[in-house]
Amino acid sequence: MPQRTMGLRAFIHRMTAPKPEGAPPTGELKMVFIVNHGLKMGKGKIAAQVGHGAVKATLDAANRHPLLVESWLASGQKKICVKGDDAAHLETLEREAQRLKIPTARIHDAGHTQIPSGSLTVVALGPADPSQLEPITGPLKLL
Amino acid sequence: MASTPDEPTMALIVRHDLRLSTGKIAVQCAHAAVACTVAAKKSHARLTERWRQSGARKICLKIDNLNELQRLAGQAQSAGLVTHLVKDAGHTEVEPGTITVLGIGPGPRRSIDALVGELKPY
Repeated sequence: MPQRTMGLRAFIHRMTAPKPEGAPPTGELKMVFIVNHGLKMGKGKIAAQVGHGAVKATLDAANRHPLLVESWLASGQKKICVKGDDAAHLETLEREAQRLKIPTARIHDAGHTQIPSGSLTVVALGPADPSQLEPITGPLKLL
Repeated sequence: MASTPDEPTMALIVRHDLRLSTGKIAVQCAHAAVACTVAAKKSHARLTERWRQSGARKICLKIDNLNELQRLAGQAQSAGLVTHLVKDAGHTEVEPGTITVLGIGPGPRRSIDALVGELKPY
């Protein structure tokens, strides 16, 4: 029944996706957004960019780590927002997360407003266990 | 912006009277965006896919108070659009259960513009 409403692309994706591994995680999973603070974006701009990051991270992870995403959605989809210094800083943190096998998603702005086209605005990490995220995002300031 | 009136879009409408911090607004908008996307993937699968392919356009707008937010939510539902009201868990800044953000869409840009055209960008 779900196949009928899911669309061909999603259906093929599901058929070919790797099987979820291991038991579902038990802790309260989190998603962390590292915002490029060097760009001086307005509040609404930041909100939209973080929104992009959340949707992208969720949909990407839904294919690769379905159990993580389900557990995160069921526990109230916890999110926090922290400040990164600039694009290079965001990229460094992204690489660290990838090394620890934490799902990541990066958002480049289309540049219709406020900032140059293609700027790296947000890197999203997770959903992941807070203890995994702590070493990477713990030292960063909340936005 | 170089997009046609038929291109799908999403509107995130934030309550201006709560005076939330930047990080709080961003997180609340992200809640709305994810909840709307997850719901729309089931109810409007093709439109949601088209929205993603065309850059997952989102716009962040402000509204004066809860009454107006709820009225807008009602109008959007009557228009057959995907909507989601975000209730804050209230760990910080506001009382638990406070409605902070309304997400509308992804939906046809024309129908969403007709509802939110009067609102100012946040």
